[in-house]
Amino acid sequence: MARVTAGSIDEVQALLAQGDRTVLFVGGETAMPPGPPVDLEISTGRLNQVVEYAPADQVVTVECGVNLAQLQRELAKSGQRLALDPPHPVEATVGGIVAANSFGPLRTRYGSVRDLIIGVSILRADGTRAKGGGKVVKTVAGFDLPKLMCGSFGTLAFIATATFRVHPLPEKTVTLRARGSDPLELVRRVRALQLEPAAMIALGEGAGWDVYLRFEGFHSGVRAQREKLRELEEAEWPGHAEGAVRLRFGGLPTHAAQVAKALAPLRARLEWLPTLGLGFASCAAVEAEALHRARRELTALGGWLTGPGDWGPAPASLAVHRSVKRQLDPEELLAPGRFVV
Amino acid sequence: MKQETPGATQAEHKQRAPPLPAALVSRFAAVVGEGYAISKPEQLRTYESDGLASFRVTPGVVVLPASTEEVVGCVKIAREARLPIVARGSGTGLSGGALPVPGCVLIGLSRMRKILEVDLENAFMRVQPGVINLDVSKQIGPEGWYYAPDPSSQSVCSIGGNVAENSGGAHCLKYGFTVNHVLGLQMVLHDGSVAELGGPVLDQPGYDLTGVVVGSEGLLGIVTEVTLRILRKAEATRTFFATFPSTTEAGNAVSAIIASGIVPAAIEMMDTLAIVAAKAATGVDWPEVGAALLMDVDGVADECDHTSANAIELARKAGALEIRVPKDAAERELMWKGRKSAFAAVGRIARNYLVQDGVIPRSEIARVLQEIAALGRRYGLRVANVFHAGDGNLHPLVLFDGRDPAEEKKAEEMSGEILRICLRYGGSITGEHGVGTDKAPYMAEMFSAADLETMQLVRCAFDPGGSFNPGKVFPSPRLCGDKPGLYRPHPTELSGEAWRA
Repeated sequence: MARVTAGSIDEVQALLAQGDRTVLFVGGETAMPPGPPVDLEISTGRLNQVVEYAPADQVVTVECGVNLAQLQRELAKSGQRLALDPPHPVEATVGGIVAANSFGPLRTRYGSVRDLIIGVSILRADGTRAKGGGKVVKTVAGFDLPKLMCGSFGTLAFIATATFRVHPLPEKTVTLRARGSDPLELVRRVRALQLEPAAMIALGEGAGWDVYLRFEGFHSGVRAQREKLRELEEAEWPGHAEGAVRLRFGGLPTHAAQVAKALAPLRARLEWLPTLGLGFASCAAVEAEALHRARRELTALGGWLTGPGDWGPAPASLAVHRSVKRQLDPEELLAPGRFVV
Repeated sequence: MKQETPGATQAEHKQRAPPLPAALVSRFAAVVGEGYAISKPEQLRTYESDGLASFRVTPGVVVLPASTEEVVGCVKIAREARLPIVARGSGTGLSGGALPVPGCVLIGLSRMRKILEVDLENAFMRVQPGVINLDVSKQIGPEGWYYAPDPSSQSVCSIGGNVAENSGGAHCLKYGFTVNHVLGLQMVLHDGSVAELGGPVLDQPGYDLTGVVVGSEGLLGIVTEVTLRILRKAEATRTFFATFPSTTEAGNAVSAIIASGIVPAAIEMMDTLAIVAAKAATGVDWPEVGAALLMDVDGVADECDHTSANAIELARKAGALEIRVPKDAAERELMWKGRKSAFAAVGRIARNYLVQDGVIPRSEIARVLQEIAALGRRYGLRVANVFHAGDGNLHPLVLFDGRDPAEEKKAEEMSGEILRICLRYGGSITGEHGVGTDKAPYMAEMFSAADLETMQLVRCAFDPGGSFNPGKVFPSPRLCGDKPGLYRPHPTELSGEAWRA
């Protein structure tokens, strides 16, 4: 196996055009699924240029190897940010974030990568360069290739550059904490009061949850919302849970308690986004049997649980997913064995 | 797209195909029921066009299925008979997305209008594709919830059509388009199989096929169920209407407001002609000035008070002549009615008009509008502008008299030039109406051959025979590998040339 740190997108194109070998695109390796060895690894570390940034239009185009921290620093100079907060921003690259559909608690208000990406340029398995979307915040011309790239784990194409809609940095931020709280009850309360938290996350380890809410925006709005939850204490926003193993799971928001119960035997630290029904379970190690049991219970609830490189049962309509893969990467050269297809 | 006011007499781009054999029509009738398989020429006429009324093509048969199973049945018969399939919702689309293909099976989904599930706690609804956009919000409004995408046609357009076109609306600046509010789909594929994509549980392992199918303009299959994300209503909405000497000052006001960190729920611009038309149609008492902005902010009440006050201040600084704040909900409603009816209202000041849907970076609004105005002077045609200023989505309406073929031709040429201006500024040929039939010829100006080929690989993954909505979106359709094909229209027909002959 060879590993190349590409100096330009053209160089990646030339490498792909040679064809006939399996390839893995490597960013910051914060969310890389394990898989069989490949013939060539292409590292994106040097593809780290901000291609175009138009603060007045709130749109930025970057090369895939730009890491999130670098991008946020650049945007902050104009009082803006990409409203995405996955773990490990210093390591995580934009290409990797798109490929892995990485996200953090800000997804509560701003959505995931698919809601923020507006354009993409890619290299197909044979090096063919193509683009989809655009660099304006609104376009419906052509099929939405940017969305197809989100969460595709490098199995469909090389994500060369991505264009995002960015948001203004908030004037004021307040974090509130509700210890030992039922996240679902708190969500009901937030909705009844018509509050609009930018982020909401429940942290659980064993029994009970500690729920954190973050309010952002202009002073007056943040103050008003804080006042309506007067009984909650202000706190620091919690960091991401650490652990050698980070599982992802999803279920209906109303199934929070059952989901937690199903995951309890894993003895993991749980992060649960209670308005979205998405979470992470972090632990030092996970037993295969315990993982399968937990997954069975989640699946029975209509949910899902994925471990590193372990996608669980095939998705509904697997044939369509396979068909898309076959069209874009007919020789199965890209990231073999690293995704559900 | 071209609109005609009643009584217009210009030649239509019309195409006919021989009628389908009666035996075939009977087979469809056996699936959907007598009376729901329409083949009489006078009845087919209703389905000859969508909102792009100047293009007319007679379908072979129109079927109106009532269930997913019936759609499956129709697709299977069409497949055996090697007939192209075109889906249709309410037929309000402005790009010819639901325009029939000669001799096709037109699957109308208006009978599939059940709301299947409402789950407020999990913030989703599951609906059939024929459900009307506004009826979704009406269903959950009493509980304080709503569905965000609000195309101007929302009282008549269907969710299935919204999914096909990835419809937007005035409020998508803050809340996003249809694709941001669709969690899952059920769809019937080319072979009659039923695919389930996504659903109320987010991020299920697999590709984001829901994200690709939304906005695919009916080329990938027939959507038969849609899971929608619904939102809790905001605590407050503040609206104001501001007038300006010209679109330049109004454009600068938009830029200043956005630059201040405010994310308006909507910010709409109208120029003099659009104001005059809206006044004539709805009776709003707007002054006939150079430009007007209509803006909403929504959210937590205290924040809205702050942001609307700030935005008004910024509008004043940018040169606003007058600011009006509606005194009650009724007055606010009337202001929005004036805006939303502006397209149709233009029919009161011109015999015919063409609407474009180009997008530009919003910081370029003032400059691009000047270029469009110069173009109008060069062509000797009037242009009305009414559009989503916050996201740079222009809707220039080129006015003309269709009785004069030379003027009509000029209007068509000028509309194309407007799209080219948008592309020159790094924009898009369509922000929300879709490519359809109307803008397929411009796709190759926005995208390279490789871009289009890549998109068509996705099409091949879903519909290798190219049986769904052939001739739309892509100027030169790609054949999918060696897989057996179904219907293969002639290239000139696909490019739209044949219809214009």
